Amino acid sequence: MTPEVEQAITQIKEAFPNHPVDVEPEGQGGAYITVNNVQIGEQYMPSTSWIGFLITFQYPHADVYPHFIDGGIRRVNGGLINGNGFSAPSNWQNRSAIQISRRSNRLNPAIDTAATKLAKVISWLKTQ
Amino acid sequence: MNKLIELRIDQPLWYKLRQHLFPGDGDEHGAVIVAGLAETSRGVRLLAREVFLAKDGIDYVPGTRGYRALTAKFVAEVSGYCAREKLCYLAVHCHGGRDEVSFSADDIASHERGYPALLDITCGSPVGALVFAENAVAGDIWTLSGRFPLNYMTIIGSNISRLYPSPQSRSRFSDPMYDRHSRIFGDAGQEIFSSLKVGIIGLGGGGSLINEWLSRLGVGHIVAIDFDRVDLTNLPRIVGASQMNAMAILTKQPIPWLQKLGQSLATYKVHVARRVAKQANPSIRYDAIVGNLVDEPTAKLLVDTDFLFLAADSMQSRLVFNALVYQYLIPGIQIGAKVPVDKQTKQVGYIFTATRPVFPNANGGCLLCHELIPSGKLQEEALGEKERRAQRYVEDHDIAQPSVITLNVKSAGQAINDFMMMFTGLYKSDVRIHHQMEFVRER
Repeated sequence: MTPEVEQAITQIKEAFPNHPVDVEPEGQGGAYITVNNVQIGEQYMPSTSWIGFLITFQYPHADVYPHFIDGGIRRVNGGLINGNGFSAPSNWQNRSAIQISRRSNRLNPAIDTAATKLAKVISWLKTQ
Repeated sequence: MNKLIELRIDQPLWYKLRQHLFPGDGDEHGAVIVAGLAETSRGVRLLAREVFLAKDGIDYVPGTRGYRALTAKFVAEVSGYCAREKLCYLAVHCHGGRDEVSFSADDIASHERGYPALLDITCGSPVGALVFAENAVAGDIWTLSGRFPLNYMTIIGSNISRLYPSPQSRSRFSDPMYDRHSRIFGDAGQEIFSSLKVGIIGLGGGGSLINEWLSRLGVGHIVAIDFDRVDLTNLPRIVGASQMNAMAILTKQPIPWLQKLGQSLATYKVHVARRVAKQANPSIRYDAIVGNLVDEPTAKLLVDTDFLFLAADSMQSRLVFNALVYQYLIPGIQIGAKVPVDKQTKQVGYIFTATRPVFPNANGGCLLCHELIPSGKLQEEALGEKERRAQRYVEDHDIAQPSVITLNVKSAGQAINDFMMMFTGLYKSDVRIHHQMEFVRER
């Protein structure tokens, strides 16, 4: 992994201290990350999920997106999660997943880290 | 350490230093240049990062042995900074005169007293001294492996110029092949071209034009990088590419396995480019690199070039090109053409060509700062094809973009003219070379 990707992983672990973080290097210098047991909002059933994403070797210049959550999650009324930034069915590291596409249009590598991006995605999820 | 030592400095930093050294009072002034280091088989490049100006009477005071000296406090602060940042320390002062300069006996004696200890302080990063006249510079560079003179300093701006310790003698031989060139640039200008090492990234439509024109201009050494082979659809644009290079006899067949075989046997674009260059200038030195700029060993082949042309489409290559310009102080130009077509109506939009010079200084045309390397595109390019398809980002990568050789000519022509003027000093000193876009349907 590149030093920048390693630093990003450290920051994620610091920002989400109570969530086990799985890391799998992807061969070019990036890493597949899965952050577990994340509270994504009471409107979903279950209300917690893992969140997966790839940090590429070009981080921090490259955006970190899309993110993925457990493919079995539904709305509390039983409805499927789709449209408006969601797409399903999808796949994350051989797991059934829902894809969340939140691109950063004006990314500033100095302040937009993988950890802040994850926090933004979680807070967006909670409003959907 | 190699013996050929060059100092590279961007024009704004040089202007700042020159203004300080030569304010018009005829007196001596001092400063320190802190510099990075790039060592290759071509020589050693000291890459000026910052200039610390010594205030007269405070940091630069009457010396006990010589006329003036930097104070111990000033030296300690700047050399400490160099040690922390792993940079080279180059003390600077000026003498009178114009085209020739050398150190005085007092100067040399002070180097011998101080620089062995200073080398310890900078933890082995080279240290040394430069002395300037208005149009000349000499240097005494101390390294762990020896002591070397500075060969010249290159100033990178709208005109790319060099300062030497004394006027350089030029070769008396002038090649009659370049007679018409010499009438513009002089034999000296033609000699400059022959001494240059230039990198071309991407040998498609635009890059192949640049390749031929640089070769005909008399550039001495080209490093061409492209991983791709000639395809049937390239033939209307790539200079020198033939049906045979594209294996058209196989790739035109309606049988997929024959097409695949033809594609795998087609000639690499850099090999076509090398043939074209050798035809134009048999004495050219040519490195045809089948590789991807994103791979570090490939990118490192460019760190000792004098100029870069980027004629590749990917955002990854833009990112590496931009990094090479700023990290190694190598000016460059990115070229491209765009033919936007509305997906629904199929209408052709505003066709434009772009020529984007990038200089290694603030406001120098940085592609990242101008948002010309979108972070989302970088992310997509880093994915494998399977992942891209799974994430539905296949559109831009699978649909070929429209392209015509005459559009490539527009941006490549401007780029080569810029290159030519910069190295021969034909641009006026106040010219501003900035990104240019031309909307070709506007008349």
